[in-house]
Amino acid sequence: MKITQVAGFLGCGKTTLLLKLSKVLAGDGVYKVALVVNEIGEIPVDGKVMEESGMRLKDIGGGCICCEVATTFAKTVYALYKDFKPDHVLVEPTGVAIPHQVKAAARMSGRDARISMGPAIVLFDATRPAELLDMDMLGRLVTNQVTDADVIAVSKIDAVAEDGLEDTEARVRELNPHAELVRLSSFTGEGMDRLKDVILSWEE
Amino acid sequence: MTDPMNTEKGCYTEHGVSGYGVAVKLTHEHPKDEGFIRSMAEEMMHSIAEKCMERGARCIGHIKSHVMTEAGAIKADTIGVEQGAYSSGSIRHPVKDLYMAVNSIVQGIREEVVKTATLEGVHEVAEGKGYVVAKEKEHTYFDEFDFTVSKQEYLRQLEKQFREETNGPGESKDS
Repeated sequence: MKITQVAGFLGCGKTTLLLKLSKVLAGDGVYKVALVVNEIGEIPVDGKVMEESGMRLKDIGGGCICCEVATTFAKTVYALYKDFKPDHVLVEPTGVAIPHQVKAAARMSGRDARISMGPAIVLFDATRPAELLDMDMLGRLVTNQVTDADVIAVSKIDAVAEDGLEDTEARVRELNPHAELVRLSSFTGEGMDRLKDVILSWEE
Repeated sequence: MTDPMNTEKGCYTEHGVSGYGVAVKLTHEHPKDEGFIRSMAEEMMHSIAEKCMERGARCIGHIKSHVMTEAGAIKADTIGVEQGAYSSGSIRHPVKDLYMAVNSIVQGIREEVVKTATLEGVHEVAEGKGYVVAKEKEHTYFDEFDFTVSKQEYLRQLEKQFREETNGPGESKDS
């Protein structure tokens, strides 16, 4: 069972990507895919949206899985392993989660379940790079998310011009020169197959 | 004006992100179709974002909603006033009752302010369209975890938390 997280700041398109990527990853029933979505609040919106996908879904509320409810996350992953035995678990943490902490929490479930870690895919919203990176507290958070990424998916590329996109890519590349950079549009589907290939071939 | 030195719970925490979630039932005297409902939900998202910015927010993280009806569901959201609001989903036929979950996550204002802006936006827009609003459940929250902790320290805390939940607090030994 491979655990892959789709992280990134609030509003960068995580839920939309997860819904589409889960279908691409599942193929025609080749793989069993389960989703775990985490929202800080107790009134879920993303979970309700994902319920409509028909995928096996676990919704964790009441805190952030990278810290406050990390053990709940580990137990949830184990429960999925025990009851559903998916090939892939796609995890959507909150928009303020730190990817390496989500990985560490997921690894705790490896005490009881046979798991492997997929990549930390971090989305970066191409429509508002300055807003995300140039502010003090927010900038630190988003920078931490980007530097933690195994794959940086620059999202919403259909909504920006090519020169703006190149500037954005240069900025995130500077923060994390090691991660693979993927241009992503959940609207047109660009980048989706590449993310699928990366997940399937990832070994850690 | 918001005091930048104010470290009261809910604002200017580690990332200064505050949130408010509310579940409401909206009832209209006459059944309304998908176009009407989508337009209202988008207008509501935009209105909440605008009210948060007017009250000193520095960034709209995500203002999102899910509208469930007997004839289908839609979602609507915005990441900022300038970016606009969008919706998707479908509602097969006109309906009177909507069950709506709204979640506002904003940076730079306290949770009470997010709550006020959200409720004002919900009421103004819905009531302006002829809906009666009944609040069912609400929740304010804030984010204050220390994301600057070292990886080693984080793992230590995680191990401790795991042992406590597995064995009970009395049996936890923090080695």
